[in-house]
Amino acid sequence: MIRLRPVARLAELRLLVWVAAFSLAGYAVVVAAAAGKFSWAQLLVPVIVLGLFAALHAFLVAVGFRGDQLLLPLALGLTGLGFVLVERLAPNLLIKQLSWLVLASGAFVAVILIPRDLSALARYKYTWALLGMALLVSPLLPVVGREINGARIWVGITGVMQFEPWELVKLALVVFFAAYLDEYREILSAPPRRFGPIPLPPLPYLLPIVLMWVVAMLVMVFEKDLGATLLFFGIFLAMLYLATGEPFYTVIGLLLLVAGGVVAYHVFGHVAARVDVWLAPFASDLRFDTGYQLTQGLFSLGNAGLFGAGLGNGMPERIPVVWSDFVFDAFTEEVGFAGALALLALYLAFVYRGMLVALRAPTTFLQLLAGGLSFIIAFQTLVIVGGNAKLIPLTGITLPFVAYGGSSLVTNFILCGLLLRVSDITARVRG
Amino acid sequence: MEITFALLLWGVRIAFLLLLYLFLIRAFRALHRSLDEEKSAVSARSTGLATLVVTTSHRGGPRVGERMPLRAVSGIGRDAGNDVVLNDEAASAKHAVVSFADGEWWVEDAGSTNGTLVNGSRIWDKERLHYGDEVQVGRIALRLERVQ
Repeated sequence: MIRLRPVARLAELRLLVWVAAFSLAGYAVVVAAAAGKFSWAQLLVPVIVLGLFAALHAFLVAVGFRGDQLLLPLALGLTGLGFVLVERLAPNLLIKQLSWLVLASGAFVAVILIPRDLSALARYKYTWALLGMALLVSPLLPVVGREINGARIWVGITGVMQFEPWELVKLALVVFFAAYLDEYREILSAPPRRFGPIPLPPLPYLLPIVLMWVVAMLVMVFEKDLGATLLFFGIFLAMLYLATGEPFYTVIGLLLLVAGGVVAYHVFGHVAARVDVWLAPFASDLRFDTGYQLTQGLFSLGNAGLFGAGLGNGMPERIPVVWSDFVFDAFTEEVGFAGALALLALYLAFVYRGMLVALRAPTTFLQLLAGGLSFIIAFQTLVIVGGNAKLIPLTGITLPFVAYGGSSLVTNFILCGLLLRVSDITARVRG
Repeated sequence: MEITFALLLWGVRIAFLLLLYLFLIRAFRALHRSLDEEKSAVSARSTGLATLVVTTSHRGGPRVGERMPLRAVSGIGRDAGNDVVLNDEAASAKHAVVSFADGEWWVEDAGSTNGTLVNGSRIWDKERLHYGDEVQVGRIALRLERVQ
């Protein structure tokens, strides 16, 4: 039985009031513009969503949670924007997204309540690694594996439910890396031998790095998912750097990644196609073919201007699969540079806060855990916004909290819950 | 009717952006405030009277070279309530106390299971501690140094 020891979380509550305000305003404009008239009944869904947000806040108050008060409003603010955009871009998916939100909230509550001791996660590190690997290869299995839009990253039963196991793999991997690096940090960061500036740790300790690279390459080849490869390897390199402070490993890792990428470009058609579209989406043979989505996205961005066309007033529906792949371009088209800047600033604040939680955490494992989790959000935002803006090749990564997608929403809520747990432990240790 | 509806829409559109930015400003202000608090907490922590520098450690323990600030009276031990927290199974929850009195540093065992060593020999009483002396608690050795 959970004992209730309520605490005031006023800073969180005040910020959530603003979240409610802009979410309602945005949603109201979108539905009113689409219907040509406005009635209060149209606001039913956002009111349910905001009620759920309030319930999460009330839950944290009721259990006497002492963790961070800024992360949740930021995450829920982004989620609120996400609902405005789902209503704008794919209103038929709204109810589905709402049910995913209920599930995500349940997962969040579970993470806050269990496990009692977060550090216990570290004890089962190889279990997490195995679980991660199993989830990672599960889409390749017959019967349950699904290939959608050229990427084999789904499991599920067609028509009933589909899930991207990759999303949960991220979390399992961060827990594993944090536990592993916590244990072997010493030998990796202060190796007994050095060759000039190059550290030479005993060979067995380098093996995981090579292994990770092999797995990342396998994902790229068999699941045809560039985004997962990038994210997977990016998380690993970032956490390795966080743990050891040794830039050399990062350099080696990046060189390996580039080498693998170049080889893959020449050997595998799907990699080459992505890169060709990125380099020249307007080429005459790509413009109305594989480059269509990206070029339409670029037109959206190009027409945005400083304040955009106004919510509900643009033409983002001309981008194929806009609700999951191109929400950033769609949002920017309608609210302009000003809105895009605000969106990116929300991510910045979330990641900054997450890194602060990492810095303050009392043990190395918790520091690495919080650092890795924050990095996921930062890296995903960078990769998908960069992809939408043609800065880097487009990948299937989702814009955290905002883009339509159930697996991603559930995962991000768990991620947010874990960050909050780390900050709660810090607050309790510091008294 | 048509025109008022369109105007109203534009009004709410502008309100949406304004509200979004107001939220952002509040969030960044909260972020900034906590950074200030953190800064003062860090400076209070780092300007101790002297420091203990980790010279020997083990996997899972503090990093070698890590500096731990000392107050006038500082508890050393495994417990999170100590001023110098050592993650080491061989250390007791409340292992030793380092204190500053009469212009000198002193160390005293706080009834630990495995004892406290100064420069390699176990202490039974309150002992003088000079700068450069090494205190061993469990498997971790700490050297007393002046604040830089």
